This record gives sequence, C-alpha cells and structure tokens, in this order.
Amino acid sequence: MSSMISINNVNKWYGDFQVLTDCSTSVSKGEVVVVCGPSGSGKSTLIKCVNALEPFQKGDIIVDGISVGDPKTNLPKLRSRVGMVFQHFELFPHLTIVENLAIAQTKVLGRSKEEAEAKGIKLLERVGLKAHAHKHPGQLSGGQQQRVAIARALAMDPICMLFDEPTSALDPEMINEVLDVMTELAKEGMTMMCVTHEMGFARRVADRVIFMDRGHIVEDCSKDDFFGTPRSERAQQFLSKILQH
Amino acid sequence: MDFSQIIPALPDLMDGMWLTLKLMVMAVVGGVVLGTVLALLRLSSNPVLSGLAKAYVNIFRSVPLLLVIIWFYLAVPMLLNWITGEFVAVGAFTSCLVAFMMFEAAYYCEIVRAGIQSIAKGQVNAAYALGMTYGQAMRLVVLPQAFRKMMPLLLQQSIILFQDTSLVYAVGLMDFLSSARSRGDILGLPHEFLLFAGLIYFVVSFAASRGVKHLQKRLAV
Ligand SMILES: Nc1ncnc2c1ncn2[C@@H]1O[C@H](COP(=O)(O)OP(=O)(O)O)[C@@H](O)[C@H]1O
Ligand SMILES: [Mg+2]
Repeated sequence: MSSMISINNVNKWYGDFQVLTDCSTSVSKGEVVVVCGPSGSGKSTLIKCVNALEPFQKGDIIVDGISVGDPKTNLPKLRSRVGMVFQHFELFPHLTIVENLAIAQTKVLGRSKEEAEAKGIKLLERVGLKAHAHKHPGQLSGGQQQRVAIARALAMDPICMLFDEPTSALDPEMINEVLDVMTELAKEGMTMMCVTHEMGFARRVADRVIFMDRGHIVEDCSKDDFFGTPRSERAQQFLSKILQH
Repeated sequence: MDFSQIIPALPDLMDGMWLTLKLMVMAVVGGVVLGTVLALLRLSSNPVLSGLAKAYVNIFRSVPLLLVIIWFYLAVPMLLNWITGEFVAVGAFTSCLVAFMMFEAAYYCEIVRAGIQSIAKGQVNAAYALGMTYGQAMRLVVLPQAFRKMMPLLLQQSIILFQDTSLVYAVGLMDFLSSARSRGDILGLPHEFLLFAGLIYFVVSFAASRGVKHLQKRLAV
C-alpha cells in the first residue's frame, strides 16, 4: 500500500525539553491509525507536526509525497488538503454553522459561495445537523459542535484526516454520536490518524495502534497485537488502567 | 446670566460641532486602522518590527497630545514640502487629523493587541488547519472576534477622543468649544456660552458612556 503520511525520525524540542524523540511511523492510504498514551506523552505535538501546526527541528514528515519540513513547501496549500479536528472543536463563534463550513471553501479553495454552502448543507445533512445550519456554534451542544467540526474539515475534500482527542471534552452521553460519524468515515475508506483514548473505537475501527510515552513511540503494531499482548510494560499498564473504565 | 442669546448663535455652534464630530470620526477610523497595523507588528515574531511598534507606542504615550497637535501643525507642511519638493498648503484640519490619528493609534494599538491575545490559540490553529494564510486567519477569524470583544474599550477611548478634540483651539481651528468661546466673547456673554458648551460635552459623553455600558452588558451574554 502506498503511504499517505510518513514520519521519519522526528525530533522536537521546546527549549531544552525534548517533546518528541526519534518518532517514526507511517499511515497508508485508507488506513486508520489510533494514537494513545498517557497525558503529556507528546501525542498532540506529534499530530500537529503532521500538518505543520508545530514546527520540528529534526527528521522529516512526508504527506502525500510532500515534505512538511521543507521551507519551500506551500504550507497553507498542504494544510487545506489535510483535515483536522480538535479537542475543543474550534468552530468560529462569530459565524453561523453553514458559514463555518463555507468560509475556507470560498477563501482558500476559491469555490463560489453557492457551491460552498450547498456542499456545507449536504455535509450537515450527513452528520444529522442540517436543521441547525443557521444557528451559531454557541447554540449547539458539544457533540453537535464536534460533528460540525468534522463536517467543516470534510468540506475541503481532504486526502486524510487528523483527530486530536475529538471526544475527550464531551459529556459521556455525546461521545457516541461523534464516534459514529468517525466510524462511518473510516468505513468509507478515509485515511485517519486519531489521537484518542476510546479503546472501543480502536478495537472496532483501527487497523493499527501506536502507543506513545515520554515523547517516544513505544508500540506500533496491528490492532490485534496491541489488544492481544502489547510488548511494552508501559502499554500494558496503560491498557489495564484505561480498560477498567 | 442671559442664555437667550445662545439660540440665535446655534447655527454657528452647529458648524463647530460638525467640525468636532468630523474630526473625531475620521480620527477614530484612521486611529483604529493604524492601531491595528501597529498591534499586528507588535505581535509579530520579527524583533525589529515588534520593537519599532513598541517604540512608536511608548513615544506617543509619553508626550502631551497638545504638543503633538502643535508639532504636527508645524511639521506636516514641512515634511510634505521636503517629500514633494514643492510648497503644499495643508491646513489646520488635516494636520490636526494626522496628529489625532497618530496619537490615538498608540492607544488603540494596546487595546487591539489585548483583544487579539484574548482569542484562544486554538482558533488560529483551526484557521491554519483549513489552509488559511496568516493574513486570512487574522482577517477572517481573529480580528472579527477580537473587535467584538474590544468594542466597549474602543468606544470608551473614542469618547475621550471626542473631548480631546477641543485641544485644536491651539492651532486656531473652529471646533465646537472654540466657536462657543468666540461667540460668547463677541456677545460679552463668555460664562453663559462656556456653561452651555460644557453642558453639551457632558450630555454627549455621558449618553455615549451609558450606551457603551449597555452594549457591554449585551455583549457579555
Ligand atoms: N508550547 C509548549 N511549550 C512548552 N512545552 C510544551 C508546549 N506544548 C506542550 N508542551 C509539553 O510537551 C509535552 C507533550 O505535550 P502534548 O503533545 O500536548 O501531550 P499529549 O497530547 O500527549 O497530552 C507535555 O509535557 C507538555 O507540557
Ligand atoms: Mg493532547
């Protein structure tokens, strides 16, 4: 399978503090990879390096054949092809839902307003929120906002999607509505890299699981191997703690 | 005290008020635009640009406005003369407008800077993640939210500016206060006209202040 995201020996420091140490992995086209690990282990940092929201000092990341670390790379253009969903949704509060979905389509991709809004409405229908198109984000529940955020990313026709703990800011009863949308997306063949602690989701949907600890990728294996017997002790401890809940 | 003479003088006083308002509105618009540019420079990661913007703000916040007005009255024609090589008549209004814009920009800069910083980093990241450039992220995502938050402060600063426009008497401009004063002197009723002028400044500023407070409450919910 051809590789969509390839992370090669990435190192990153915040001043003297090394956040990422020799991280290497890859995500193939159509693959769903779940990234987990204790808080502060560098998961968000790693996933933000993939679309250059965070710079890194050593190593390289190739997305669809384009080097993220190369200073000559047109980063806005690359980012417009990589969807990202954040823990705190980050919808634009001054815009309506449909404007949230249309703004980057028109301003970044140059689509007409009509085309962008039509596409936005279609995606809202898909995530079950068409009726809310003309509300503002503050009027929606957390789960609804996160579904809008996913639709907003999809509106750009991304070649792959990054998720950074998309359900960890949600009330428990809203987690499933978001995971359902993500599951459906995975089934349709979207390439996905998801930081999440939802192990049920990982079991059902993931092809591979990456476990991070203190800036290292400690475990990078198929889902079955990971949930069978992870090799590292840290991963075993982590799993037993997580699965108790 | 004889206030009856104020009524026939009203058309003149209205001319003065018109100048005051024109000066204020143009200075607010120019000051906010320049202040926003300064705020973006101050927040830039380039130390030269942010240093220059910081120096600008510190200089203009450390000199009296009256001095800036007089100084620009003398300096702007000279500067233009020097740039264009020919004599250009600038006029007191233009030089005052430039002085107010540049002076107020230093204050607006600090308000806008705080407003930009109050917008969470996640919003900028979301804008970038959608492929927006720095300029688009600022223009479409950060500044609209920041201005909404800053609106009460910007308006409050503009009310102060409304009062400060009276300083243009120093270069002979006939604003509201100047026209009230000269009318009063001519008619031999200086106290009546000054009291009246004070009343008008108070009513306008107080009403505007109340309006801002009301707006603040509405924006808070
Ligand atoms: N801007 C920053 N400056 C300094 N340290 C940071 C910064 N952002 C994150 N860190 C540190 O980097 C480490 C990894 O953070 P993060 O990638 O957010 O972890 P995770 O997402 O796995 O919880 C943490 O120890 C965090 O404190
Ligand atoms: Mg994180």
